[in-house]
Amino acid sequence: MRRRAVWLITFGGGLFFLLEFLLPARTPEWLGGVGNPLTPFLPSATNFLIVVSAMAVLLGPLNLVRRYLGMIVRREQGRLEGAVFLVFLAVSIVAASCEGANIHRAFDTLYNALFYGVQTAFFASSMALLAFYLVSAAHRAFRINNLEAGLMMASAVVILLGQVPLGDWLTQGLPDAFQVRHAAQWILAVPNTGVQRAVEIGVCGGAFAAGFRQWLGIGATTR
Amino acid sequence: MGRWLARLHTLNPRWLYLATAILLIIPLVILIPMPRGSASRATRGLYDAVEAVPAGGIVMIDSSWDQGSRSENAAQLECVVRHLCQRRIRFVVTSLGTVFSPEFAQKTIEPIAAQAGYVYGRDWVNAGYVQSASGLAPVISALALDFHTIRQADVRGTPIGDLPLMKEVRTIRDVRLVYVVTYAPSPEWISFITGQFGTPVAFGCMSMMAPNYYTYIDSKQLCGMLIGNRGAAEYEALIRHPALGTRLSMAASFGNAAVILAAVVGNLGMWAARRAGRRGA
Repeated sequence: MRRRAVWLITFGGGLFFLLEFLLPARTPEWLGGVGNPLTPFLPSATNFLIVVSAMAVLLGPLNLVRRYLGMIVRREQGRLEGAVFLVFLAVSIVAASCEGANIHRAFDTLYNALFYGVQTAFFASSMALLAFYLVSAAHRAFRINNLEAGLMMASAVVILLGQVPLGDWLTQGLPDAFQVRHAAQWILAVPNTGVQRAVEIGVCGGAFAAGFRQWLGIGATTR
Repeated sequence: MGRWLARLHTLNPRWLYLATAILLIIPLVILIPMPRGSASRATRGLYDAVEAVPAGGIVMIDSSWDQGSRSENAAQLECVVRHLCQRRIRFVVTSLGTVFSPEFAQKTIEPIAAQAGYVYGRDWVNAGYVQSASGLAPVISALALDFHTIRQADVRGTPIGDLPLMKEVRTIRDVRLVYVVTYAPSPEWISFITGQFGTPVAFGCMSMMAPNYYTYIDSKQLCGMLIGNRGAAEYEALIRHPALGTRLSMAASFGNAAVILAAVVGNLGMWAARRAGRRGA
C-alpha cells in the first residue's frame, strides 16, 4: 500500500510537471485560444516542493544531533568532535536568530565572528588549498609519456595561458591570429564544443532513461 | 647537471608549495601592469546585452555563490552591478544556490549601489535565498511565472509586495535580462527562461567550468558569459573601471604559471631520471 502511494505521488508529480512544460502556453485561435490549464498551479506546486525539501534538509542536522548526543552519553570515541559540533550548532542558531533583531549588539558581533571569522575563513582556506594540491598534482602526475599526453599537455598550456593576461604579455609581439588567447578560444569554441555536445547527448539519453524508470516506478525499491 | 635534474623528479612538494605561495602573493601585493587583450565574444555578448537594456529597465541577477567561488564570482558580480548602476538600470537579486549567497551578494552590491545613489527597494532589491534542493527546474519555472508566490519577503524580511521595485516585477516578462553568477550555473536557466519566455540569459562562472557552456554561446542560447577573473577583467576594461577582476586576473596569471612550471619541472626530472637509469644499466 505504502509503496503504491509513493509510486502514485511520484507518477502524479512527474505527469504534472511534464504536461505543464509540454503543453503550449496558449492554444491557437482556431482551438479557442485557451491558456495552459496547469500553469496557474505551477507556483503553488513548487512551493509545496520547497516545503517538502526544507523538511528533508532539517533531517540532516536532526540526525547529526541524535548521533552525537548518543556518542557523548555513551562516552564513545569521537565524542569531543561531537561536542564541538553541538556547541557550534547551538551558538549559530542563537546568533543567526537574534542577529539584526535589535536585541543586543553582542548577537551581531557573535554572528559576524562566527560567519566571517570562522565559517568563511575555514571554507576559503580549504578552497585555497586546492591551488597547492593542483601544483603538486601537476608536478607528480602530468607526465608526457606518449603522443596523447603530449597533445593534452600542449592544449592545457594554451588554455592556461590563454585565460590570463600573462598569455597576452608573452605573445603580444605576434600577429593577432597567433596570440595565445585566440588559440585558447579556438580550442574552447571548436573541439571542446563538439566533445561537450557529444557528452551532453549521451548524458541526456541516460538521464531520460533513468528519469523515465523512476517516474514509472520500474525497478523502484521503495518500501 | 643530469643528476641535479633527476632530483627534480622526487622534489619535496613543500618547495612547490612555497613557490606557489610566493607566486600568488606577489601580484596581490604589487600591481603588475600587463597588457589586456580585447574582450572575448562571450564577455562582449554580456556587455552588449546590458547595453541593450534601456535606462530604468529591470535586470534579474541570480547570485548563488559563497566562500568557495568568491575568488572569481565576486569580481563577476561587482563589474556587472557597476555597469547596471552606470546605466541607471534597476535590478533584483535572488540566490538559488546556498543559504550564504544572499549575505555575500549584499556585501558586494551594497557599497557599489550606495556610491551610485541607488535606493534599496526602489532601485534594487535583494530577494534572498530560494530553497531549490528539490531541483532547480521547478523553482526557476515558478519564479518566472509568479515571483511573489515563491518569494514573499526580501532578505531583510520586508514583504516583497511592499517594495516599490517589486510592484513592477511579477513575472519574468517584466525583466529584460537574467544574469546568473555562480560556480557552475545550471543550463536549466536556459531551458526555462530563454527557452520558454525568450528572456536573454547570461552566465558568470568559474574559469574551470567554462568549457561546459561554450556550446550554449555557440548556439546563441546564452547571450554572454564572464569566464573567471579574466572575464571580469575584460568587462572592467569595457566599462572603463579596472577593479577586483583586473587585480585577481594577475594573481591567476601567476597561479597558472605555477601549474605550468610544476608540470615542466616534473617532466624534466622524469626524463633526466630515465636517462640516468639507462646509463646506469
